[in-house]
Amino acid sequence: MANTIIGSSIIIDGEISGDEDLVIQGTVKGKISLKESLYVEASAVVEADIEVQNVEITGRVTGNIAATDKVELKADCRVVGDVRAPRILIADGASFKGNVDMDVKDR
Amino acid sequence: MAATKEFGATGAETTVIGPSILISGKLSGDEDLTVRGRVEGELSLTRTLIVEPSGIVKANVSVRNAIVSGVVVGNITASESVELTREGRMVGDIRSPRVIIVDGASFRGRVDMGNAEPRAANERPASQTRPALTRPVVRPAAAPPRPVVAARPAAAKPLPPAARPVVSAAPRVEPKSGGDAKPQPPPPPPQPVLVGEAGKKKVLVKKKK
Repeated sequence: MANTIIGSSIIIDGEISGDEDLVIQGTVKGKISLKESLYVEASAVVEADIEVQNVEITGRVTGNIAATDKVELKADCRVVGDVRAPRILIADGASFKGNVDMDVKDR
Repeated sequence: MAATKEFGATGAETTVIGPSILISGKLSGDEDLTVRGRVEGELSLTRTLIVEPSGIVKANVSVRNAIVSGVVVGNITASESVELTREGRMVGDIRSPRVIIVDGASFRGRVDMGNAEPRAANERPASQTRPALTRPVVRPAAAPPRPVVAARPAAAKPLPPAARPVVSAAPRVEPKSGGDAKPQPPPPPPQPVLVGEAGKKKVLVKKKK
């Protein structure tokens, strides 16, 4: 499943792209584009534009998020930015500021 | 989510870049990093970088330890060690106190192990050995001529110290000549007196043996 992990002490400033699941526990600035799922864990800080299939956010994200399938904002997450996806879930306890656009048909 | 938690638990201090992942930019951190995909740009860690066979790093790397089984294009600066394994391929310069390149590894670039110690160590012995060699050479060369002229034994040339005391030298010469019994016999003939004495004594020594 998730082969790639960005550990909690790792800082990446740049672009990440790939065809597999990505787990972020550290800091990523720049751009993330995946054809699979992205997991932003509680310790993670992401300041990036995100293009993925699925994304689950428990940590902090600043940037625009575009998912072809689903965006899930879990409790305790902090997200600032616009979210575009056919399915968007915002859990109780999540903090979110930005626009939501679910009007994306099967991309 | 279960999968992520498992990975999070096992990868608490290890970051893994999967085979299909490309990271371009700056990457820094305080934990081990395993690269199975691609990293381009700049990479700095306070711990160990492991480039697995499927991994490609095109970056200037500064780490504590680096183990390269994949491909690295760029310079590596390591505070402890750099190891190129059998499958490792690298083009670039290595700066590290310990550099290990295993048979089968491919490498093009410079290696700098930093310390001036090996160079200094080479210089010192070289400068010491030269005078050490020249002095003894000069001394024996100057010394033998005197006894040779005065004491005249041609056989004594290979044994300059024994040559000085001619009369009392006989007993001293015996054990030494006894050890070199075969090479010395030829020279004696020109000196009848000494030859006789030395010959008898040599024979005695042989009988004793």
